[in-house]
Amino acid sequence: MKQSTHQAKPSKGYLESMLTTRRNLIKVSGTAAGSFTVAASLAGCGALVNREIQESGDWEANAWLTLQADGTVTFTLDRVEMGQGTYTGLTTLLAEELEVRPDHIEIIFAGADTVYRNPDYGLQLTGGSNSISTSWGPLREIGATARQMLVAAAAEVFQVPETYLHASEGKVVHSASGKSITYGDLLKLAAQQSVPDEIALKTPEQYKYIGKQNARLDNIQKVTGTANYGIDSVRAGMKHAVIARSPYIGGTLVSHNADQVRKMKGIQAVLEVTSGVAIVADSYWLARKAQEALKLEWQRTADGPGSSSEVMKFYQQQAQEDAGDELRDDGDFDAARKEASRVLESSFELPFLAHATMEPMNCVADVQQDRADIWTSTQAPDLAQVVVAKVSDLSLDEVHIHNQFIGGGFGRRLSQDFIGEAAEISFKAGIPIKLVWSREEDTQNDFYRPASYHRLAAAIDSEGKVSGWDHQIVCPKIMDWFIWDAAPAMFPWAPKFMYSMLGKAGLMTEGTPMTPPDKSPYEGADDLPYAFPALRVRHTKADAGVPVSFWRSVGHSHNAFVTESFVDELAHELGKDAYQYRRELLADSPRLLAVLDAVAEKGQWGRSTEDGVFQGISAHKSFGSYVAELVELRISGSEIEVLKVVCAIDCGTVINPDIVKMQIESCIVFGLTAALYGEITIADDQIEQSNFHDYQMLRMNQIPVIETVIIQSNELPTGVGEPGLPPLAPAMAGALFAATGERHRKMPFRLA
Amino acid sequence: MEFELNGKQVSLDLDPEMPLLWVIRDEIGLTGTKFGCGKGLCGACTVHLNGQAIRSCITPLAAIAGQSVTTIEGLSDNDNLHPVQQSWIDHNVPQCGYCQSGQLMSASALLATNANPSDEDIDAAMSGNICRCGTYPRIRKAIKQAAGRMQAATDLAYEVKVGDLS
Repeated sequence: MKQSTHQAKPSKGYLESMLTTRRNLIKVSGTAAGSFTVAASLAGCGALVNREIQESGDWEANAWLTLQADGTVTFTLDRVEMGQGTYTGLTTLLAEELEVRPDHIEIIFAGADTVYRNPDYGLQLTGGSNSISTSWGPLREIGATARQMLVAAAAEVFQVPETYLHASEGKVVHSASGKSITYGDLLKLAAQQSVPDEIALKTPEQYKYIGKQNARLDNIQKVTGTANYGIDSVRAGMKHAVIARSPYIGGTLVSHNADQVRKMKGIQAVLEVTSGVAIVADSYWLARKAQEALKLEWQRTADGPGSSSEVMKFYQQQAQEDAGDELRDDGDFDAARKEASRVLESSFELPFLAHATMEPMNCVADVQQDRADIWTSTQAPDLAQVVVAKVSDLSLDEVHIHNQFIGGGFGRRLSQDFIGEAAEISFKAGIPIKLVWSREEDTQNDFYRPASYHRLAAAIDSEGKVSGWDHQIVCPKIMDWFIWDAAPAMFPWAPKFMYSMLGKAGLMTEGTPMTPPDKSPYEGADDLPYAFPALRVRHTKADAGVPVSFWRSVGHSHNAFVTESFVDELAHELGKDAYQYRRELLADSPRLLAVLDAVAEKGQWGRSTEDGVFQGISAHKSFGSYVAELVELRISGSEIEVLKVVCAIDCGTVINPDIVKMQIESCIVFGLTAALYGEITIADDQIEQSNFHDYQMLRMNQIPVIETVIIQSNELPTGVGEPGLPPLAPAMAGALFAATGERHRKMPFRLA
Repeated sequence: MEFELNGKQVSLDLDPEMPLLWVIRDEIGLTGTKFGCGKGLCGACTVHLNGQAIRSCITPLAAIAGQSVTTIEGLSDNDNLHPVQQSWIDHNVPQCGYCQSGQLMSASALLATNANPSDEDIDAAMSGNICRCGTYPRIRKAIKQAAGRMQAATDLAYEVKVGDLS
């Protein structure tokens, strides 16, 4: 069993603390026309404004916004669109303040550039449900700044004070006369205006699009088959590549018969690459046929994970041997336990999970002597630069990422392994290639949601109150796997020989002011909202050598199930109603209480249901948002049939109400899939699942009625893409207990 | 090897075992039809063969000789969206969108033979199409709306005696 020494969660401040950053100070950019322009930032607002007009007549106001004389407004979207709705949501923010209709804005995907770094991470990542919250300020400021400069330009034309004018739908209008000038006509004059010191952002009652824009801007492309995903990319002269990889986790190649396969029809090259043997052919089909003729011998690693049950035994053993790092220790749990009149103890087991994006991993790579071009779907373009640089002679700035629509991310595309593979093949073969993984390869070579083991104990005092809560979480750290590409991306100036040192430095300083902690094991557990006098949360690290990464809702995906299920157990132990017991404990968490009350009311908690229908309820905060869910299910023979899920979410200010609903529906179906089917198992060092017959997804005939309540709020906007997932499993487990009298402490749920 | 694709004759000299999916995507260059599983398990590659929904990833080229294939690119009539496409937009169906070409081809094939599908009919026709983003509830609503729209158009055409314009 391997204790991996790998590592990391993208970490805020990592970069900033280790060098003096020039981010947000000055931006020098080259344009297509070859002229150089310098843009200075506005103090404190991140809105870089370029005051020069290009030879073409375009005004590249900054890295996000370009206006053209013909009225075209182009927005460079720096948070990827993978279904969660940034294409619409971020455009809505810009449109609101720019005063241009969202559907009149052309949207292009950002390449890799430090200017596009996610401020929460210091890396250009899309993940963690923070695209809206981190763009809320900057994009509105960018829009408002440009709008104010356009209005100032129009004031010169009309020879009136700016207060006589207003902007609307791409024009500046003289309010009294109704006369107007288009933005396109004002560009040259606008660019010469001084950048406003103060920006007046709209108040909520002035919003035209925020809270109202529902239609997704990518609908038309996605219903006509014209949306371009990474897998749809084509380059002139491109060949098709596949890779035969080790069936064993951590296995190494011993021998192959590449010489024989090379002679087959349509085969361009058969190459040894880091992850196995690559076949480059005239078509994908020929590459796959040649792969059938490829004979490979693999050497297993001495410290492979063995089997799923061995992994869980290893976790349990670690739980005994290592009390773990204390992440929270309020009050005195040991004393509470000593004085308790009874102690309730439970343990929980959760499996590895695959992401199973519908678009399998793929990448088109064209690696040449002085530059590389990469067409793909990635959640982390700057990490993609790193993996390409690692397998070639190129530096990061010579790697150009052409990001596309993403056919599902869920965290899978934060790992850049497939891009490194494609680049290595192109570099070695000397031609542009497209690498496409099969579904089987995608299922068996994932970076999985970590399996975990949890031990909980609650001390109950003589008055029948919970006096202490102790939660020990046993699982690996994602940082151990993630840091190796993340750290170099944070230090783009660093020479390649430093890459592994940077990774090690990141791991060594994790949890210090240098590198923030990897919260993925315990997020959603150490911030338990319930008011218990003593509260202890511990993490015992155990890494079985199975690659792991971020999976939709990350640590919350296991911790919400565990903590909320145990709260149900406590309610039952104390003879209390699951909903009322939570209410008692949430007096200091009004927003969580409000969503809990909302689902109880909407879902008629405790209603007398028809025969055989049972309810469960749960509430959990994640990614800044408060979500409660109420599940109704029945047992039909040997099947669990979920009939209805009522959900309430408080995510602060809502930008696109229907997209919030879509994401709730998405999270519920995703969570239900995990609850009913989700399990990646290992036997003989090999992943046992391969395709959708044995790694099943929920289908049309299994979908419950979903009702969503959105709490109206003017608070800052928070996450939407993930928070709907965590409460589903515990609410379902509660309903299962009501139905069967059995506690389900393992996922997926299986009836006895 | 000849067949009809989106109303046009195509002639190709390829391995007859090559799955139609790769013929369409890599040889002809129509990328709206997607690869998801390669085993007919997910429906991302759904196209019409003589109007019926089939999984192109497990259909060898030889099996379609002389027949008529329609892909997502051929679903709409020039600039006029097919009613299912319009309903998909009205209900904000797509999220990542990757499976939606296949969903739309399955839905349009269903409506071509069943003007007023029940929930059970929709389950039967659509359960072969996986959506990892979970757009199923909206797909169901969109199919019903499209059915209503198509029926209304048919009724009106009958009422005003549009007749055969072809």
